[in-house]
Amino acid sequence: MNNTFNLRRFGLLFKKTLLERPVQMFGFTALILAFIFIVYALAKTLIGFNASQNLAFIWGLIGGSFFLASFVFNYFASNAIGSSYLTLPASQLEKWLCGVLIAAVLYPIIFMTFYRLMDASFVYLFHKSLDPAGPFYKQQYQSVNIFSFNGIIAWKVYPMYLFAVAAMLVGSLYFNKVALIKVSLAICCLIIGSYLLNWGFAKMFFGPVNDATIFYNVTIPVGKEEGSIMLPEKISGFAFNIVSYVFPAILFVTSLIRFREKEF
Amino acid sequence: MIQIENLSFGYSRKKLLYKNLSLTLGEGSIYGLLGKNGAGKSTLLKNVVGLLFPTEGTITINGYSPKKRLPSFLQTIYFIPEEVNVPGLTIHKYMNLFSPFYPGFNKEQFFNYLDQLDIKDQGKLNTLSFGQQKKFIIAFALACNTKILLLDEPTNGLDIPSKIRFRKLISSVLDKERMIIISTHQIRDLDNLIDRVVIVDKGELLLNASITEIAQKLCFKTVSSITDKTKILYTEESLKGLSVVMENTEDEDSKIDLEQLFNGITENPEKAKAIFQ
Repeated sequence: MNNTFNLRRFGLLFKKTLLERPVQMFGFTALILAFIFIVYALAKTLIGFNASQNLAFIWGLIGGSFFLASFVFNYFASNAIGSSYLTLPASQLEKWLCGVLIAAVLYPIIFMTFYRLMDASFVYLFHKSLDPAGPFYKQQYQSVNIFSFNGIIAWKVYPMYLFAVAAMLVGSLYFNKVALIKVSLAICCLIIGSYLLNWGFAKMFFGPVNDATIFYNVTIPVGKEEGSIMLPEKISGFAFNIVSYVFPAILFVTSLIRFREKEF
Repeated sequence: MIQIENLSFGYSRKKLLYKNLSLTLGEGSIYGLLGKNGAGKSTLLKNVVGLLFPTEGTITINGYSPKKRLPSFLQTIYFIPEEVNVPGLTIHKYMNLFSPFYPGFNKEQFFNYLDQLDIKDQGKLNTLSFGQQKKFIIAFALACNTKILLLDEPTNGLDIPSKIRFRKLISSVLDKERMIIISTHQIRDLDNLIDRVVIVDKGELLLNASITEIAQKLCFKTVSSITDKTKILYTEESLKGLSVVMENTEDEDSKIDLEQLFNGITENPEKAKAIFQ
């Protein structure tokens, strides 16, 4: 018997994970999608089409995956469920992979399909509402387009989504109860801490500082104006790659190691 | 076979619950794991099934190390914790989702056990009472036909008729290749069920003996007065006089009272060790 990975056993585990708590699993996903629909619909009238597209995509992908990742390893809040899950005859790799697949692969596919349909519908309705005989028809038509999954915003969101999912997976294996809140707080503390550290270093080197964006730039007052000091492109690219890909990869591996060492 | 060698375990490294515990348990027996609240019975079972890892020492079960939690090992062991929690599924759906993980699972036996424990198919399992849920899990665990079955306080939450059914069922499923370990502090629930007694207290193994051995070495009786205190392991006042547990030097036949045995062993561990050496 293969104790590391067996496709049939993995299939059984995957089926069991999805169908064991169907209301929570599918209901949770449906709730996130409904929430994103509302956010998109409301935001486009309040802050404009492009901003609402970005907002819905960021919250839907990062927030949704983060919420779902908190759910896939949510077995350790009670002795009974945790024991039953860890002693179920499937390998640790299979159990981990099942969680990763649901939160980091399956949900994003569902979300992005939903998002594309929703976005295309809203954009189509907007285009249709325009008067072709109007004076600014062309500008108005071209101002709203379907959100690109290969655009600058999307490529900034993907690493953040990877980081959020990986952090949540690790967190839910460390915190048995209310992992969602604890991991959210930990991430907030990490971001605030990094920002303050960055700001402190910038102040040490440049004196008065107006702003200091982590791994990006430092804004300093120059007379009555503001000047921006950018991180050199090579270093910026290196830092971006580390934060975007190396950190999440480390976190994903950590979650597997933690899962293997999980005592309950 | 379960072999525990020099097991040390503690929830914090500074305060160990078990220190150098060695114990061997074989197939074909129902073990009663007895201990006070907080004595470490559940902890020991969790170490055996691989939910907790020994700080020092080793546990080997039929050649497997539980801490690796290999599927081929987990297929041979079923652990029922004190508190059970079943998902919102029907009996059939639960069986369809969970039973394929256990190659020895027998559907016919499962429904037979459910019937014996008086569990009816009444919709979703999470709507059943705690006792009913527990009986459902016991029936499922037994039908999985694992070589080792660990039950942590299985009678908690069961009513009196259910306890009787439970005892009957457990005693009927034992065979030469199976080992059942029942941990409890409700000692009377194990009367006429177990054939070996393991007593742990303060992280120490105080007794690991068969019922036959206990009956040979100890005598349980009621006396009006005590003549030789050196043979006495435990005394308790009763309506008929003094209930005593004493060294069986005259080869007397007596019925084992597990509660008195437990009290005697935990109150006089040194004397008990000397008797069972």
